[in-house]
Amino acid sequence: MDRLRRGDPRAFEELVIAYQHRVFGVALRMLGSRAEAEEAAQEVFLRAHRAIADFRGDAKLSTWLYAIASRLCMNRLASGERRLLREGEETLARIPSGHPSPADELERSERDAALHRAIAELSDERRMVVVLRDLEGLSYEEIASALDLELGTVRSRLHRARMDLKEKLERFLP
Amino acid sequence: MTCHDAREQLSALIDDALGAAERGAVEEHLATCAECRRELERLRDTVALLRAVEPARAPAGFVDRVLEAARPKPWPRRLFRALLVPWPVKLPIEAAAIVLVAVGVVYVFRSTLEPARFYDAPPSGTTILSDTARPSSDASREAARPEATRALEATRAKETARTLEGGRPQEAVRAREAERAPEAAKAKERDRAPEKQALEKKSPEGPPAAKTTPAPEAFKEAGQQSKDADERRAKLDDTARDVAKRQANVPPAEPQVAGKLEESPARAERSQDAAGARARSLAGEPEPRTDTLQAPRAAAPAPAIASFVAPDVSGRLAVPDRDAALQTLARLLARLGGVEDRRFVGDEGPIVELTISREAYPELLRDLAALGRWQLVREAPALPEKVRVVLRITR
Repeated sequence: MDRLRRGDPRAFEELVIAYQHRVFGVALRMLGSRAEAEEAAQEVFLRAHRAIADFRGDAKLSTWLYAIASRLCMNRLASGERRLLREGEETLARIPSGHPSPADELERSERDAALHRAIAELSDERRMVVVLRDLEGLSYEEIASALDLELGTVRSRLHRARMDLKEKLERFLP
Repeated sequence: MTCHDAREQLSALIDDALGAAERGAVEEHLATCAECRRELERLRDTVALLRAVEPARAPAGFVDRVLEAARPKPWPRRLFRALLVPWPVKLPIEAAAIVLVAVGVVYVFRSTLEPARFYDAPPSGTTILSDTARPSSDASREAARPEATRALEATRAKETARTLEGGRPQEAVRAREAERAPEAAKAKERDRAPEKQALEKKSPEGPPAAKTTPAPEAFKEAGQQSKDADERRAKLDDTARDVAKRQANVPPAEPQVAGKLEESPARAERSQDAAGARARSLAGEPEPRTDTLQAPRAAAPAPAIASFVAPDVSGRLAVPDRDAALQTLARLLARLGGVEDRRFVGDEGPIVELTISREAYPELLRDLAALGRWQLVREAPALPEKVRVVLRITR
């Protein structure tokens, strides 16, 4: 952390290597497009690079990065241009996994497709909570910190999100 | 606990995020409610599905791209971006700023470099006072300096003189107006031109008792070109006088500027003489004797054109020996209570400007006629109490 604050380029490189997939994952689940997700993830690290001196260290570094990522994604989603795109193309319905090749997409099971679609169809706020909790594995407290929410809000929002998903995935459940 | 209440807690129960009491209450309800147990299982399966999703991986080369983007840009690029991006906003602002600065520069140059033009103008006919009135050592030093420096100094000297004058700001304004309004200046010059031309008119090696050209004819000969030259010289003299003034530490009340030459040319002349005298004494030269007509005034050609008001009388005196005539004239003036205001050196011979009382004037004319061949060129119909006479002494 000290090395990062001193502007050690090697420390920043280590940070990017360590958190690239997690930050990119959040951006991808939230934004739906790999290209846009990469752009957003890059922006997250650049903002972190510029603001590292402001990082107080009272939260985990990962939580701080998730906070930056979630704000950036929510801002992008909130833009009018972005909303039109979503309504028109439903880009989120077909979220690719980590391997975006066409072959992989063909092999993906119907269940996975339904799952991704169901996630994509959640409201932005619920999707953000469920992504951070069930895909990224953050604790309730970390989510509350990253999203600047009350713990109770995180809990209820997460529950609503899961209930939505359960209904949509009913037929795939055992 | 109702089913509704219990189901609200199921997610937290799965995540083990309930307090002991809450957890106990939920588990108690689940033990008795098969429907809620089933609901819990289905929710657990859903979460399991979610957690089974393969984690996303950033694309190859992502780290390098981030590091590249985070690296400080080379300064030209940063400068370029800082100056021009976003260009729709910054370009118009910058263009406007450039135009403003350009206009400012033009304005400043036009107003400050005005005096430099004086020095560019080659002195024709009359020597510039500033070159001779300065101490010789100073003069050589001055000559070694670039013209621009001298011009700037002249400007500064002018400003200083204006400040010193204090009580006469209107004169400074008039002087500036004269500089900036060539038309007005020309008009003034036109008024003055006749006398100037009469005095300046160069008739090389005229006959000993040359017949004078009537003044009006001389006026006609004065072309536009000479008018312009006069203007330029008047300006030069103005600047030069200010420089001399500065060097001679002339008291504030004394200095004159070009615009008011009509008012007291003699005083201006005297102040220059004072400057010149000081300069000469500084340079170790003998003080020129002003009471002798042999005084080498030719060495310090006066700013001949600078100070004209139409004299009341002008005439020509043709004599065999001009120096002797000048000496006699000096004695004559001393006797009659006249004053020699200034003297020029024309090609034909000296030109003397003097003032004499109206009572002594007729006697002066008689004595002049006795000196040589005297011809009255012009005489005002009504003479004032102090008669100003311009006298051209030729062979």
